[in-house]
Amino acid sequence: MAKWGMVIDLDKCAGCQACTVACKEENSVPHGSPQEQGQRREIYWNRVIAVSKGEYPTVRVEFIPIPCMHCEDAPCVTVCPAKATYRRDDGIVIQDFRRCIGCRYCIVACPYGVRGFNFKDQTEEEYHRPDLPPTRADRGPWPFPQRIRGVVEKCTFCFHRIDQGLKEGKKIGVDVVPACVEACPTKARTFGDLDDPDSEVSRLLATRGSFRLREELSTHPKVYYLHG
Amino acid sequence: MSVSNSDLSSSKGRKGSRSSVTRRTFLKVSALTGAAVAASRIIKYPEISPLASAQASTEGVITEKWINTSCLNCPTRCATQVRVVNGKAVKILGNPLSEVSEGEICPRGHIGLQVLYDPGRVSGPLKRTNPVKGRGVDPDWIPISWSQALGEVSARLKSLRDKAQPHKLLLLHGLNTISNEDMIHRFADAYGTPNVISGDALENEAEKSGRWMADGNYSHVAYDFGQTNYLLSFGASIIESEKPLARNLRMWGKIRRERPTRAKVVVIDPRYSVTAAKADQWIPINPGTDGALAMAIANVIISEGLYDAEFVRNWTSGFDEYKELALNYYSPEKMATVTGIDADITRQIAREFAQTKPAIAWIGRGVAGWPNGSYNSYAIFCLNALVGSIDAPGGVIYQEDPKYRDMPEPVEDDAAKGGKAKPRLDFRKTSLFPSAEVVTNQVADSILNGDPYSVEMAIGFNSNFNMSAPGTWRWDEALKKVPYYVHIAPFISEMAEYADIILPASTFLEEWAYDHSPPGSGFAEAKLKQPVVEPLHDTRGITDIIFEIAGRLGGTAAQSFDGIGGDAQGFVRYRTGTIVPWQEFREKGIWVGPAYQYHKYDHIFNTPSKKFEFYSGNLEKALKKTGQVGGRLACLPHYKEAEFLGDRGGYPLVLSTYQPLLNIENGNQNYPWAQEIFLVMHGVGWTNFVEINSQTARFLGIRDRDTVWVESPFNRIKVRARVIEGIHPQVVSIAYGQGHYADGRWQKGIGVNPNEIIGVSYDQLSGQSSLFNTRVKVYRA
Repeated sequence: MAKWGMVIDLDKCAGCQACTVACKEENSVPHGSPQEQGQRREIYWNRVIAVSKGEYPTVRVEFIPIPCMHCEDAPCVTVCPAKATYRRDDGIVIQDFRRCIGCRYCIVACPYGVRGFNFKDQTEEEYHRPDLPPTRADRGPWPFPQRIRGVVEKCTFCFHRIDQGLKEGKKIGVDVVPACVEACPTKARTFGDLDDPDSEVSRLLATRGSFRLREELSTHPKVYYLHG
Repeated sequence: MSVSNSDLSSSKGRKGSRSSVTRRTFLKVSALTGAAVAASRIIKYPEISPLASAQASTEGVITEKWINTSCLNCPTRCATQVRVVNGKAVKILGNPLSEVSEGEICPRGHIGLQVLYDPGRVSGPLKRTNPVKGRGVDPDWIPISWSQALGEVSARLKSLRDKAQPHKLLLLHGLNTISNEDMIHRFADAYGTPNVISGDALENEAEKSGRWMADGNYSHVAYDFGQTNYLLSFGASIIESEKPLARNLRMWGKIRRERPTRAKVVVIDPRYSVTAAKADQWIPINPGTDGALAMAIANVIISEGLYDAEFVRNWTSGFDEYKELALNYYSPEKMATVTGIDADITRQIAREFAQTKPAIAWIGRGVAGWPNGSYNSYAIFCLNALVGSIDAPGGVIYQEDPKYRDMPEPVEDDAAKGGKAKPRLDFRKTSLFPSAEVVTNQVADSILNGDPYSVEMAIGFNSNFNMSAPGTWRWDEALKKVPYYVHIAPFISEMAEYADIILPASTFLEEWAYDHSPPGSGFAEAKLKQPVVEPLHDTRGITDIIFEIAGRLGGTAAQSFDGIGGDAQGFVRYRTGTIVPWQEFREKGIWVGPAYQYHKYDHIFNTPSKKFEFYSGNLEKALKKTGQVGGRLACLPHYKEAEFLGDRGGYPLVLSTYQPLLNIENGNQNYPWAQEIFLVMHGVGWTNFVEINSQTARFLGIRDRDTVWVESPFNRIKVRARVIEGIHPQVVSIAYGQGHYADGRWQKGIGVNPNEIIGVSYDQLSGQSSLFNTRVKVYRA
């Protein structure tokens, strides 16, 4: 079984946020409003944060794209009382809307702030994809866009693409990648099997220095960053 | 176009614990043959597979197609692929066949979906019933039919022409497709007005003019950025707003980590831009002094003998005079007091720039939008020649554009000839603006002063100068004064509020057009726009509107539009027929020209000497022609102190502006995806700030997020302060893109527009509006 992971090259990332927009486009993630941003009630499966250091004129700002880390030891999975959040065999951490009871324990537990809560019934937009995603025989259909008020949602590594791609015999990480990877104009993002020594992600990790966010928490994230 | 339906079906069983509905789907993919084949071969997208149809069943038919078209959310006009499901556009990606953007698009491309489905779009022609015009005055729109609207517009046009005053028609245009621009210009010629005014002089005209002084080509500079090893950016926000943006982003990835050598990037800018943040070195400079730094760099390169002697000897003229000037007046030590940059740092970047080959000195918007913008640009451009980076791999290159089929000359009657012989409203190529191709902002004052004559009618094509031009209040007054104004755009902008008639234009995803990107790639690439969906509303494309109006005018105006295709689709087909077969163009959405050839020194220099000129013969001629005596210095690259608006005592800070990447450039910002992540540097959206250095803020008693007034000698605006480290202490900055007040749920009343307080002044050669030389004071509200 593959172990899917992502490598993000912070030297190539230009902070353009194409990943953030493409993710919303792909997964019909609702957009926010000024009020919701003020209340921190927006939902992003991927966002780009800016971390500033230093004082004028030796200032330094680093842009860090943040999808779900799909931790190997994921606090969200541990704390979920309803087993709505679980880890698939391939390591992708999934949120099942139908089991979610909206307690938001996972949101508190996640060290990366990548989970969003549906505080309201979301508007269906004309550009939301009306087609249903590929079947996941093991767990039923994908949960979108049937999100409802009161459930938590998050990045899926675009598992619908991976599952479909595997079924069609395509090479994951080459022919099929998550929407954020596909949209990145600087090609800062790479996706693939961390256990496959020949994959591009493994090659990058072998040749460049990398780090993961908040490694000290032993969550073992599967999103790696190459130094900027 | 042949259409084949391949029935690829798929379904899923859905068992919901919350809802007991079992949903089944039968997917039927109908696709344009070529486009679909091309798409499946090249995109990394999970396709709907026949395999899944094993469990297929029949509820809900889904049709899917991919259509190759292109973007118009900024002037880069990237080639795109749009996924259309059940007649709705649901996804936009870059077209992998595009070599300009190498298959990529920036976030603006994806936001095309929200441009198409913008709830603020105009759904049919509107007529004003309130004769009073002004900011905040409700025009009391009533819907009218296209036939009535076009009838009224044509009657007005006709009567003006019958009075032998066609020159009193003013055509204004913002961001349009190249084909729509070509039609607008043709209409002006056929009708007989010399007054076609683009928004270009609000952007980078001084860059063009500075470059023209050196090599005689009045156009933006193309940089062969993917192959360079050293990038020296003068005020260029290369990965935020410089065009062609998606190509710049792609090349950024390339020069950082996709080649054996990682290019070094140095950014000179009073503001710590996103580009500066991603660069290897940020050098804050005193505002408006980039020309001085460029000359100091030249001083170091020449005095240390680091220049490309062979190129200078063979392909340049005027070097001795330039050398003497640089050596005698521009030592790094002397210029340090002007630029605020240590002589040691100037020496360091000069040596690196000359010794790392190939290298590029990039003229940004930040150095062009100044009263000395042309000279800044000229001085910077000359650095490229000093190190031999002219028409060389990794240096400056010479853009080729698609050669569309020539149109027959428009038919001109006496009225048209008479009208076009009149002086232009913007005074281009006069003693006021000797090298100018357009002087956008001058037109408001020309209207207000009735000089050189009154304007009787104006038509705006996607223009919004009431927002985008410095000194916005003048455009408000000017538009009030124009007796009859017709606005053509998909949505109601601030400028549209002054219209007597609004003709709703289709968006770029619903119309036919041809397009190409601004300079950057070198080689030519034509892009098609074809409708991806039926028009959502009762709208028409601009080309179709012009054909219709010309037909209604009759006579020579109508004759001028005969034989060029008849309608928008026909026009695009006619014009592109000489470069690419129609069927192929529709399938691929793109045509790519031959590979770029370097070192064409025998025919790229359009100067009197047919060489690169360190002493500008072109400028000397232009000055003479407009009756000015400049002296030798006027024709040499040099640093001329910028004039500021407002005295330093009363207004101690300099107001700078910038375009964040998510500022959509169609004159509208009603797009939630862009709004919610508007300022990546500050991690917020739905707003903008006055950005102020922490030391300055402390001195002024301003804390982060305080509400403050930013006051210039002309006006003041209230905005929240963002106290940051990444800005020159004497500069404050406000992002463009907000401050809309006319319409739009997702933009109205959000943030401020810095143009409301920026004064009016120009680069006196190119007519470029000065954007960065207004002084302000900032105090707590």
